[in-house]
Amino acid sequence: MKTIGSKLGTAVAAAALAVTGFAGAAHAEGELNLLTWEGYTDESFVSVFEEQSGCKVTPTYVGSNDEFPAKLAGGGGVYDLVSPSVDTTTILMKAGLVEEIDVSRLENWDQVFPQFSSHSGVNHDGGVYGVPYTWGAIPFMYRADSFDEAPTSIAQFWEDESLNGKISLWDDKTNIYVVARMIYGNDVNVYDLSDDQLAAVRDKLIELKPAIRKYWSTAGELVNLYANGEVTISNTWGGYQSALLADEGIEMIEFIPVENADGWADAWQIVKGSPNTDCAYEWLNFSLSPEGQCGVVGITGYSGSNPEALGTCKTDEEMMMLHMDDFGYLDSLVLWQEPARVDAYINTWNAVKAAQ
Amino acid sequence: MKHKTRRTLNFWALFSAPALWWGTVLLVPYLIMLSISFYSRQFPFHVPDFQFGNYAILLQDSQYYDVLMRSLWISLSVSLSAFVLSYPLAYFLAFKVRSERMRLFLYTATIVPLWVSYLLRAYTWKTILGSEGILNSFLMWTGVISEPSTIFLYNQGAMIVTMAYIFTPFMVMPIYASLEKIPVSLIEASKDLGAPRFMTFLKITLPLSMPGVLAGFTFTFGLSIGDFISPILVGGPYSNMIANVVATQFGMAMNWPLGSALGVVLLFIVLGVITASDKLERVGRLNMG
Repeated sequence: MKTIGSKLGTAVAAAALAVTGFAGAAHAEGELNLLTWEGYTDESFVSVFEEQSGCKVTPTYVGSNDEFPAKLAGGGGVYDLVSPSVDTTTILMKAGLVEEIDVSRLENWDQVFPQFSSHSGVNHDGGVYGVPYTWGAIPFMYRADSFDEAPTSIAQFWEDESLNGKISLWDDKTNIYVVARMIYGNDVNVYDLSDDQLAAVRDKLIELKPAIRKYWSTAGELVNLYANGEVTISNTWGGYQSALLADEGIEMIEFIPVENADGWADAWQIVKGSPNTDCAYEWLNFSLSPEGQCGVVGITGYSGSNPEALGTCKTDEEMMMLHMDDFGYLDSLVLWQEPARVDAYINTWNAVKAAQ
Repeated sequence: MKHKTRRTLNFWALFSAPALWWGTVLLVPYLIMLSISFYSRQFPFHVPDFQFGNYAILLQDSQYYDVLMRSLWISLSVSLSAFVLSYPLAYFLAFKVRSERMRLFLYTATIVPLWVSYLLRAYTWKTILGSEGILNSFLMWTGVISEPSTIFLYNQGAMIVTMAYIFTPFMVMPIYASLEKIPVSLIEASKDLGAPRFMTFLKITLPLSMPGVLAGFTFTFGLSIGDFISPILVGGPYSNMIANVVATQFGMAMNWPLGSALGVVLLFIVLGVITASDKLERVGRLNMG
């Protein structure tokens, strides 16, 4: 695991490389511009890909799924591949911003977890529009040194006054899901809430605002909030930020509350009109290969989409820790999908942030 | 005739580039924004239309009113804070510093932060105002407080402090420019006629510097009402500004029509402020005779 400092160093080096890139790209056959999350194009395995394929990778990072449709709809002609979560991939497919993927060109497609390869987020009109890469949960986590008793339910956020001003939530509409389960029980279909239910969730989230220190929007921001002693509990991209904090000597404990946790999966999509499709398919194949899967899982701490590929570098125990050996865990999570009325959900989250 | 043709040619040689620039990067985009604000939202994008539904949403849904009022209040606070900080500074520079070299040094020191990235300067305030920041450490060292206070960061106060700091040069520059132009003879005449110092300031200096104050106010107000970085960096759960809402509409919501309608409202607010400050300045001129 790398520290934030060395990550910054890598980013600066990557930026410098991007500027002077042409000098070193003598044998490059093409270029790939990736719009993706922190950690998904780490130098440690991207260098292997560049060596193998001759395609040069230039990543741009996003802080939330919002940015994928925004950048592509705004004429994002420079990107070849994007890696949104499976609740956003559908928006890009329906808007015609991404291309259908020819799975016959993918060597390891059959090895992908079927929950992902058959997910509505990558299938549209009988075609495949995304290649699942990583997955995980959105659990909650807390600072081990700040709690005598382990929290078990998010209902404590509203009841426990000692948490006042110590809570951080992701600045994202997905907060609606877990709060809806808190109000209506874990069986409610969080992707098809009625107007009344959305209003109740909104009021509950507004009621919590005085106890919120900050809504976090990037991995680094949440890490800093903990490292600077601003907050003690939050939701998190399971496995990633807690590991970054462990590097800074802060012990974090992740937990799945009684309200259950969302599951997420990210998939690579080819941007419509990308001139570098050969390199794009090289990347898609690499992303499902042992090098690609082991690389990204090693850096982010997330789970991978191809258990066979991961099995080549992980012990049975490690595979168990990553929940790569059982479908049960994955099925127990509420895997993200595009809400039936996505506008109403976004409006609800905006209303929470706007409220006085 | 020949002379006239040459003048016309000269005119266009000089002004065609700026006119083209003004048209393509200002006028045309504003017109596009205006027309999209009448379009209809249709998932996942929008369809061309002419209807006022987007403006109706802004009126009906109270979240937009709340955010707008918050943005106005914060921009006004930023402008007032920047004014209170900047006027004495500009006055000191214009009248109290005798050495020309010293004046240049202080003036440069005031505006040099403009050469540093906005983001970097806003981040710096995080390290000053945070729970384990410089301010808290200092207050604990002096014994004023016994444990770190959270009231300095992640709220509207932190945003006002940060923006007032960042936009202060835009207030200092015009005020200094107008103070510097005031003829010393006027001030001396007032003193010769027996007016006390404060009266001279109120009757002569302050009115004559009003154009600079109004220009500074317009700059800072316009810059802060459109700001969306400081709410993200130093604001808290109650800090969403109008520009953040616009950004969301062009982001995940992909509701360009609603985002454009908000943009048009914001544009007219800023135009209103510019017009008002222009009117005030004219009134001031007449009063001076």
